[in-house]
Amino acid sequence: MLCEQFERAIQDEPDGPWPAAASLHLETCPHCRLLRADLDAIRVASRQLSADEAVPSENVWISLRSQLESEGLIHAPHSVHHYGPVPGAGLTALVHRWLGSAPRLAFAGAGLSLLLLAGALLSIPAAPSAAVASGGILATVLPATIGNYAPVDASLFAEVDLDHTLDGDMKRVMASLPDHNASLAISLQENLGIVDKLIAACEKSMREQPDNPVVRQYLYGAYQQKAVLLSTAIDRSTLEDR
Amino acid sequence: MARTRPIDAGELTEAEAIRRAQQGDADAFERIYRLHNRRVYALCLRMVGNTAEAEDLTQEAFLQLFRKIATFRGESAFSTWLHRLSVNVVLMRLRKKSLAATSLDETIEPDDESSGPRKDIGGPDLRLSGSVDRVNLERAVEQLPPGYRSIFVLHDVQGYEHNEIATIMNCSIGNSKSQLHKARMRLRQLLQETERARAREERKAAKGEPAGGK
Repeated sequence: MLCEQFERAIQDEPDGPWPAAASLHLETCPHCRLLRADLDAIRVASRQLSADEAVPSENVWISLRSQLESEGLIHAPHSVHHYGPVPGAGLTALVHRWLGSAPRLAFAGAGLSLLLLAGALLSIPAAPSAAVASGGILATVLPATIGNYAPVDASLFAEVDLDHTLDGDMKRVMASLPDHNASLAISLQENLGIVDKLIAACEKSMREQPDNPVVRQYLYGAYQQKAVLLSTAIDRSTLEDR
Repeated sequence: MARTRPIDAGELTEAEAIRRAQQGDADAFERIYRLHNRRVYALCLRMVGNTAEAEDLTQEAFLQLFRKIATFRGESAFSTWLHRLSVNVVLMRLRKKSLAATSLDETIEPDDESSGPRKDIGGPDLRLSGSVDRVNLERAVEQLPPGYRSIFVLHDVQGYEHNEIATIMNCSIGNSKSQLHKARMRLRQLLQETERARAREERKAAKGEPAGGK
């Protein structure tokens, strides 16, 4: 077999099997042995390129999902009952999964008021103090707090009629839902129930650990989750209006 | 804080996810995306060598997939169908950008230059030092023509068999094998050129000459 014939053989079957004559040719031809060794090295090295497979950023899915929603290609599951407790940041994902339709809700300020309120609570200047032992209802989910943190004026909570504000917003939301979409109303009520329980748990911990800024942060996060839920409902109502 | 994943979507089989996605189930779409996004992205990244563009192409590939998912009848493997879409998306993009793009037919049909064995039988032998540097290989892959690159990435990087590649690229198995060999030969040539350039720089450095200078 000549070198040209050998190369034609490996072109037809890059990874073998090759005719016996090709194997015999390799024993006598250093040029073709070198060729085969180089091609094997390339093949082996190429397998390693897939070992560290890159992962696309989450933005790809977020953007894709948004496009699919705008084209009306996807819709939410019929029920969110399958979702277990989703405290804190997990509720954001729950909200994003909650697809449905809602009439336009004229309470754009509700979410903003929640955030402003939470921001006011967090703007209390803090000064280091002695460590306080962890405890309270959130102790099981919050990391144990060790270190110095500032005393908080708990009386500020008494001045905030947050429950009344939120209840008012929720009542307006529920009242504006279409009568024919009872499942949507049920879903909204369930999700809001989860958030409200979280807020209640955080507020209870604030009363038990008024000096704990971590608890305050979680309470802020809970308010934020509720604001996200409300604002998402507004967004959905915008799509419904199209 | 711990987050509880939704029970349904996270445990859907691919077949069930496809069925639900054909009915517009959002969670099923996401399940399909999570199952295949890495491979599609890796393919796109190897083809264009740019993370931002690869992400854009990944999104486009899945968008096309989900637009057409209702037409999927299961006559071929879902992943094969998806990767065919992905390759087409990439090649269309490269064609638009005119990055030495050639049509699928042109890349599959051998032209005068690439047909037959290479004529470097009498050329100097240059061993690739027994192993191939990963960075140099990646650079060389980026220099391959799109058609060669597609088949090389599908076979040598992502591990597809030639019968699968033939379906994805709409070519014959023989063509797939032939193009793979030519891709490897071209890579060998590119890597040898890199080796020669490196050797030249080393000789210059040994002589005290400025690297890359004239």
